[in-house]
Amino acid sequence: MSHQQIDQFAHRLDKGVRDSVLGGSAAGTEKRRQVLFGDLPNADSLRALAGRIKQHTLEHLDRYLEAAEERLIDNGAKVHFAWDAASACQQVETLLRERGVRQVTKSKTMVSEEIELNRHLAEKGFDLVETDLGEFIVQLDGDHPSHVVKPIIHKNRSQIAKTFERCGLGDYNDDPETITRRAREYMRRKYLSAEASITGANFVSAESGRLCIVTNEGNSRFGLAGARVHIALVGIEKLVPDDRSLSLMLNLLGRSATGQNLTVYTEFIRGPRQPEAISGPEEMHVIFVNAGRTETLASDCREILRCIRCGACMNVCPVYRQSSGHAYRSVYPGPLGAVLSPLLAGSARFAEFADLPKASSLCGACNEVCPVDIPIPDLLLRLRDRAHREHAPAAFDDAPNLKPWAMLAKSPAAWRMSLRAANMLNIVPLGFLPFGPLGRWTSQRTLPSWRGGRYRQWAAERKKQKNNPS
Amino acid sequence: MMTCLCDAFFDDVARATHEVLESLGIEVIVPESQTCCGQPAFNGGDWASARQVIRHTLNVFQGDCPIIVPSGSCAAMSFHGALLAHEKETDLPQVQAFGARTWEICDFLRNGLGIESWEGRLDARVAIHSSCHSRGTGTPEAIRTLVGSIAGVTLLDFTQPEQCCGFGGTFSVTFPHISGSMGRLKIDSVRATHPDLLVSGDMSCLMHLNGLAEKQGSPLPVKHAIQVLRDARVTPVTVQ
Amino acid sequence: MNDRARIFSAINDALTPLQERAALPELDPAQWVCPSRLTEGGSWEDFRRNFEAVNGTFLTSFEALSRLLRDANATEGYADPGLLEELPETFRDGLTLHETIDRGSIDRYAFGITRAHAAIAESGTVILRDLDTPDRLAALAPWIHITLVAKEALFSNVTEAIDDLGEDPNTVWVTGPSKTADVEGILIEGVHGPGIQVCLPI
Repeated sequence: MSHQQIDQFAHRLDKGVRDSVLGGSAAGTEKRRQVLFGDLPNADSLRALAGRIKQHTLEHLDRYLEAAEERLIDNGAKVHFAWDAASACQQVETLLRERGVRQVTKSKTMVSEEIELNRHLAEKGFDLVETDLGEFIVQLDGDHPSHVVKPIIHKNRSQIAKTFERCGLGDYNDDPETITRRAREYMRRKYLSAEASITGANFVSAESGRLCIVTNEGNSRFGLAGARVHIALVGIEKLVPDDRSLSLMLNLLGRSATGQNLTVYTEFIRGPRQPEAISGPEEMHVIFVNAGRTETLASDCREILRCIRCGACMNVCPVYRQSSGHAYRSVYPGPLGAVLSPLLAGSARFAEFADLPKASSLCGACNEVCPVDIPIPDLLLRLRDRAHREHAPAAFDDAPNLKPWAMLAKSPAAWRMSLRAANMLNIVPLGFLPFGPLGRWTSQRTLPSWRGGRYRQWAAERKKQKNNPS
Repeated sequence: MMTCLCDAFFDDVARATHEVLESLGIEVIVPESQTCCGQPAFNGGDWASARQVIRHTLNVFQGDCPIIVPSGSCAAMSFHGALLAHEKETDLPQVQAFGARTWEICDFLRNGLGIESWEGRLDARVAIHSSCHSRGTGTPEAIRTLVGSIAGVTLLDFTQPEQCCGFGGTFSVTFPHISGSMGRLKIDSVRATHPDLLVSGDMSCLMHLNGLAEKQGSPLPVKHAIQVLRDARVTPVTVQ
Repeated sequence: MNDRARIFSAINDALTPLQERAALPELDPAQWVCPSRLTEGGSWEDFRRNFEAVNGTFLTSFEALSRLLRDANATEGYADPGLLEELPETFRDGLTLHETIDRGSIDRYAFGITRAHAAIAESGTVILRDLDTPDRLAALAPWIHITLVAKEALFSNVTEAIDDLGEDPNTVWVTGPSKTADVEGILIEGVHGPGIQVCLPI
């Protein structure tokens, strides 16, 4: 039995959920590979290039954030800043209240999950509806998304059909097309009656102040066609230097996320609508949210802030595939979450998530698919070192103590002696060793026979023989 | 560098490395004081301990001749992991120099010595598992080229080759369920191609996979790539 | 200290210790043009192939458009008033065309005809701007969305279209019908927006 929370979660995971996560992720990985390399044979050098652009932006964030702010103000938008989750929620609430807004549509934004905006606005009596189909279902179920791009990868059609039935969206029907049509009918009334629409942003160009938002369903676009107030919640790391960089990022994002050359709806928003336009928000508010990002920027893992939330790392991750997104107990799952969640939690709550960086075989597949080439395994290792230095208990559940081993490994004579001594292992029945690391090894696998020091012996004989050929 | 795993379990892999190098006219030196590359502590997050072991290893392997290791994982530890562990240390340059001399054995044969094909014969259907730590290095291509060039060898392609086998060092004991499931998936995709032999450049992956397979009741025929190369061509050296 | 000052100060604190900062790499957009998508050098033929690959409906005549609407039993819809004179009499026969969208009866419109600012051959994308298509709903609410685009307004690749973004507060690129794969990864078209996305170069 292991005590690592993620391993336990994976062990207890419903087989249906595991199969759908495993199948969905593997299909995503394969489609990405075909489309990305089919279209762009030099994709690996483009990933490196995109990573350098984002790294440069992060390392000059003061300059670019200020530039974006200026452009947006010039374009007629209002710009706000939120230090943490509480401040961001409060500012959204105030904006809505001051404008007499009660009904709100919201398209998918991960930063709103971080700040738990839905809960906050519901408690304050606002009527907010998630418009992305998957997020809508998550909202109806009081659940959490388990993937950054495919929020309900852990649900099957019959669970969804039951939810719709329970929520008065028609009799039980698990046909995906029917489910989608019902959401369509329900949602269009909401788009037109909501006074405000909340979105995230995939990118912000510092050069033009342009927000770039991508969706496949068109829900963000519809929300912004119906509402008169647009509030965009944007993590401060979403910047790119210029519009040209957007061109590269968009080419990589759709292909990495869903194997599409471009996401269906790619919106570029500079500011509120022009007076002569018939639809579109008259007011545009951009709230730049920190919520732990500056602390991450100050750390030696700042590369994780390059992330453009494509989800390719979780799709390819063998640990994510076995355990599903909810195993990570945080907004961001998979390799991305294993790095970002402990960092965004801040120094005060780092220890709570210190086991996440351990949940990896360090296989490096995440780095290989990352569109901004984040060295995720290196960051996981740095966080393991940090957890160790800070004595975070979650990181030590079941982890073998390596200090005695290290002592041995720098004392060659003792090392050689114990190699020979361990030959004892061959005569001790392994069944008598059910505890400790060896027990957890043999719970799953057999152990090869111990042959400690045999090669040393052979090499010594060989040397002797060569020196004194007979 | 013999690797701690070969020191403890897989002496024949270290011996095959030795024999192949000698057969190419290379003198092999085996420093007696060597122990381990430091990876277990490094991956386990105990970097302070890891650095002690790395420094010991640095000391043992002084000089400027190439350091050959029959493991993509230990090689990557030497030229990547050790640098990460020492990034804020004053002896980083020594660690870098050590890393620059370290080669995984097949990478060394193919890209260090420029060997393009391997003589000898082996009539077998061979599946090759590339270990994760050799991603982005010359090793995967080297193994495919050299093993694939042996007369009689048919290389097999199994599905999702990029997926990890689930070993991951201490991961295999701290996350036993996930590690086991990952390994069984890998075994299934390998078995689907009906290989006579599963070959890899890392005994750690093979020890884990075969351990799982044996537990299931049907062992996998596994061999390190260097054993395959030796057995195809070199007559084993007998020692009295 | 307000939130803005706090954030900028924390960014400065984070970046000051860096001995070097990553330089902005040189960008050569030719590197991310997809050769296999532009076999005809960025022509309408390329657009057609790429647009059809994302299940867009490419038409070359108003007769074909009439047939499509007839087959779908679509007789009532919206047409951008600025486009009316582009629509031939024979096409308009038998259709009820509204020049505004009544938000109270959004389901009345079986189709919407709008003007696209341009199209992108490489990606099979049509570009809509507020300046050209003042009511965003016309391109979203009806099941069938038809965009008319001038034959000369074709960009070869994505970067050319980015360079042309200009001053319009709102531009949207549309690459195929609205779609989702949220339920078990099964592709369903027509989620919130159109299920049929038509492009007709004029």
